[in-house]
Amino acid sequence: MVEATAGAAINIGRRPRRSLLEPIVLAVTLALIVLFSLTIKGFATLGNLSVILSNSTSLVILSCGMAVVIISRGLDLSQVAAMVAGATTFSTLINAGFSGPPAIILAILAMALIGFVNGWLIAFVEIPAILATLASAMFVTGLFRFAVLRGEYLLILPKSNPAVIVFKSDVLPGVTAPVALMIATLVVTWLFLRYTTAGRIIYGMGDNFQAARLAGLPVRKTTVFVYIYSALTALLAGLVIAAASGTVDFRVVTNGSLLFEVILVVVLGGIPLRGGRGGVRNLLVGAALIAVLRNGMTLYDFSTQIQDMLRGVVLMAAIFADNYLNPRDAETDTVGDL
Amino acid sequence: MLRCLGSKLRRTIVGLAIGASLALATGVRADPASSMAGKKVIFVPISMGITLTEGWARRMKEHAAAHGYSFEIRDAAFNTGAMSELLAKAISDKPDVLVVHNPTVQLLARQIKQAQAQGIKVLQINLQSNQPSAAFVGANWTRIGTEIAEDIVKKCGAGSGKSGKVAIIPGQLTAADSVMMNEAAFKVFKEHPEIKVVSNQASNWEPEKARQITVTVLQQNPDLCAIFGHWDVHTIGAGNAVKDAGLSGKVLVYATGGGEYGEACKAIENGTLSAEWSYDADGQGRDAGTMIDLLLQGATSSNGSMLTVESPLKIIRAGPDYDPSLCWKMPPKK
Repeated sequence: MVEATAGAAINIGRRPRRSLLEPIVLAVTLALIVLFSLTIKGFATLGNLSVILSNSTSLVILSCGMAVVIISRGLDLSQVAAMVAGATTFSTLINAGFSGPPAIILAILAMALIGFVNGWLIAFVEIPAILATLASAMFVTGLFRFAVLRGEYLLILPKSNPAVIVFKSDVLPGVTAPVALMIATLVVTWLFLRYTTAGRIIYGMGDNFQAARLAGLPVRKTTVFVYIYSALTALLAGLVIAAASGTVDFRVVTNGSLLFEVILVVVLGGIPLRGGRGGVRNLLVGAALIAVLRNGMTLYDFSTQIQDMLRGVVLMAAIFADNYLNPRDAETDTVGDL
Repeated sequence: MLRCLGSKLRRTIVGLAIGASLALATGVRADPASSMAGKKVIFVPISMGITLTEGWARRMKEHAAAHGYSFEIRDAAFNTGAMSELLAKAISDKPDVLVVHNPTVQLLARQIKQAQAQGIKVLQINLQSNQPSAAFVGANWTRIGTEIAEDIVKKCGAGSGKSGKVAIIPGQLTAADSVMMNEAAFKVFKEHPEIKVVSNQASNWEPEKARQITVTVLQQNPDLCAIFGHWDVHTIGAGNAVKDAGLSGKVLVYATGGGEYGEACKAIENGTLSAEWSYDADGQGRDAGTMIDLLLQGATSSNGSMLTVESPLKIIRAGPDYDPSLCWKMPPKK
């Protein structure tokens, strides 16, 4: 259906609008790689590549879930809360004496429930996604801190935690479990968006929600599914972060910067906030820029404040270049577009 | 004046003894005859839910219960915006003593001044502001920074055969502890040109951020000699990165903290941290409780400067010197 729409657009002489930001962000990323390689000794090495990969696994896994939600014209502000809640559920069950497999199954069910409630609120109660997920983020954070952690902020994981053992191992020589999981999530997301019926419906919903609904597509069920998918990617990212740092830390939710980084990865790669376009390739481009920038700035030993400032400058530069190279007109300008 | 303070101190000690004996006999029960009875104390921490603040609050509550004054907590939950609002509300409630835990040296300075001007005695706990007030109970960060830096020089400096490379991971560059420890450490390092600080990036107090910084720094400097993390909670993330790189024991991981068993000692026991300069949160809680008692009885310093209690330090080291009795244990919640 989407191909048909795009084809029709070409036939009437209009350039099909691909994601305009993607090539610009890709160019900026390549320029940064060249700059860092020339100025930082040891930047362009295999070792540093593996550092960049291992530091961006959780970000990419989260972005996969967020991309699917955004393409369906939604937004999931509860993702980071679900991430920490998922890791907490798993670790609390392990501490309570459960073995790995039942603990992970219960954690999956708990996160699927969060996703289901989000999707149900949005699809059936028809609350706007931004409000429904914001409310559920607050509820989940509060509930877990109050009822599960009994007011604590932090859960320190013992080394015997199965998540720690599994995620610290190598799947193949040189490929750690988190990196393998990141690749697996990317492949699953790509296959899902590209080749499944639900995936195609998601593009239809993002492209024109009312038309998709009137055409009889199961938009409500698909919405519920989309938010469950997002919550499950959150659980995976949560386990990866918890295993790596040895802690589950609720301040990632309150500090808030991770959620914005996830949205930034998706949007910078060229998936517009109004949905309907883009895919895994866009997400990779966005993630590459953030990961390379973060790595280079850490190697330069810039302070956190300067890093924040430069991130803002790069984002503004990308949007500015996009506006300059692809001027908007009444026809191409769309609400919610970058 | 001194005599006056002395008599007040005596009265406090008597009060404390009565309170303690009552507490021993019947659990904690207020002493109705106490001059502190009915007074009001409000505590505004950066956040509850961490062993540091929970440990303090536990002890301060015990003092309040023993002497019959009220003790309320207004939890800012790591939200600095909310913290200013909570403090404004606390000031308008006109407590007798306000206990403030400053996230940065600047953030609450004006409000502390305002509270003092309204006759509310402000006790700053562990992290001080630029604005002096009635009292301060907490660690001497300059001393900790100097001592850790000197230890690093000993283990990584001239004659050690090590690279002399050091990475510093502050929490926030504007937090009192980070400001003072960095200043003190750099002063020591300046006299030892063989020490090279290769990274000085704040973790925002998050273990995962500290881990990511450490992974990157270790990739660039595999011969790193020491990491100086400003708080044990986030430094655990850095310690895990060192472990993952297979450099445990080669890269020394220093931290400071409240010395609670589950947080500090476990990490030292399993080698995630090499050493912690502990300011003993449990002891600080008792010091703060005693200081509140004194302030409620009208204690002031003779020259109007801040009454100060410096927390004694305990150095907990990994390896053969490891001594778990240096840590305190938070009792499980009922």
